[in-house]
Amino acid sequence: MIRLGNVLVSPGEGGVYGERTLDGYRVWDPYRSKLAALYTLGGGVDLTPDMRVLYLGAANGTTVSHVADYAGTVYAVEFAPRPMQDLLEVARRRKKIVPIMADAGRPEEYAPFMEAVDLIYQDVAQPDQVGIAERNLVFLKPGGHFILMLKTRSVDVRRDPVEVLGEALAGLGRRLDVVDVRWLEPYHHDHAAIVCSRRG
Amino acid sequence: MLQRYWFGDVDEQGCRAAGTDPAALAERAAALRTGMESYVPIDWEVARDCGVARTREEYVDLLRAVCITLAREKIAVSYRARDVELLQMVRMLDELDNVINLLSERSAEWYQVTTPSFSRKYRSLPAKKMLDLVRRGARGGLSDVAGDIERLAGTRSRLMREVSARADEVLPNTSALIGGLVAARLLSRAGGLSALARMPGSAIQVLGSERALFSHLRGGTPPPKHGIIFQHRRVHNAPREVRGRVARVLAAKLAIAARLDYYRGEAVPEFIRDAQEKIDGAGVAA
Repeated sequence: MIRLGNVLVSPGEGGVYGERTLDGYRVWDPYRSKLAALYTLGGGVDLTPDMRVLYLGAANGTTVSHVADYAGTVYAVEFAPRPMQDLLEVARRRKKIVPIMADAGRPEEYAPFMEAVDLIYQDVAQPDQVGIAERNLVFLKPGGHFILMLKTRSVDVRRDPVEVLGEALAGLGRRLDVVDVRWLEPYHHDHAAIVCSRRG
Repeated sequence: MLQRYWFGDVDEQGCRAAGTDPAALAERAAALRTGMESYVPIDWEVARDCGVARTREEYVDLLRAVCITLAREKIAVSYRARDVELLQMVRMLDELDNVINLLSERSAEWYQVTTPSFSRKYRSLPAKKMLDLVRRGARGGLSDVAGDIERLAGTRSRLMREVSARADEVLPNTSALIGGLVAARLLSRAGGLSALARMPGSAIQVLGSERALFSHLRGGTPPPKHGIIFQHRRVHNAPREVRGRVARVLAAKLAIAARLDYYRGEAVPEFIRDAQEKIDGAGVAA
């Protein structure tokens, strides 16, 4: 990952969502992107040009655009029509992005388009985030990584985030090795990043 | 095992490519049903050997073209089916109401001038009866107009049923709580389902009573208890002293219902049952 001083940046054509540029690089703001927050906090899996990535919950494609600046091919799955329109616009200028309109909880909808990937990044506002992760493991290469951004409030607003995290870790541990867990404070509240790897 | 991918079918014997036309491939891919038990992800080199593409770049380009075509179609379908048309229908309905009222008023005024026996007491007749009287009693233009208003009123009731049915489809949860017509009016005032789904209950409660709300905020007047939702029977039939409470509870549940409608798009019976109970409970005088 490229840092200019303390600032996380990505190489690529700017002007995707009004992001700042620095010496020709696009600034990747940790307050806006949870993945950027994870990298800024010293965690995460480095993205390389030979990587294939499945991105679940692509939304408007802001973070996707940064991932595509680093990685080889990015399969970006998004369900809602409005953000999908923005994502298509982002994908028009970035040939590495394959935009897929489908429900991340139903991998059979997009399985006919998928190859095995090195990294799955999941950032969906759904209660059953661990279940969605499990159903998508079929796309992950042995030894590949899974980064789950756990939105504890989406699981259950009333419960203690720490408790929600504990439960998620237990769930993920069934099929994956949990490598790293960290809260995204001070950039994002009640969000935990869980980095796992698939047993080889 | 046979694997059906976007570019063709692959099994032990080999690969049958489905061509390289993105539109045709998209159509074929949309019809694919994948069983996940025996599924194996694509090896793009198989696609290359199949003659789909010569390089990885070509492969990804074609895949992108197919996926973008599919996404465009899905977006178009979602806009066609959902709230966009309902918004226009409801606004047309409200315009029709306006026009019918204006024309009826004017017809009554005109008829009163030509017919001295048509006194004030006839003005309190139901509009339908009054128009019938005018159509048969008057001559020429006035009679024609009265006939036209009646036809327009028929159009209006047909449209109202359509609005109600469409609202049940687009706003299943909201409609279950306050009826299709009022639900559709809320949608229209909010400016769309996404806007309605983003509103807090307190805003939904006073939607449609903006004048009273802002005169309250500027100071002096009491705050409005209800806007459009007053049209719902449980609000306007409630005893005065609990009407504000009913409106507040109803609006809070509507905010949840609108979000379910927007994000899930289907009726959630457990929610509807619970919400109905809460709203009925609020109407019981303390």
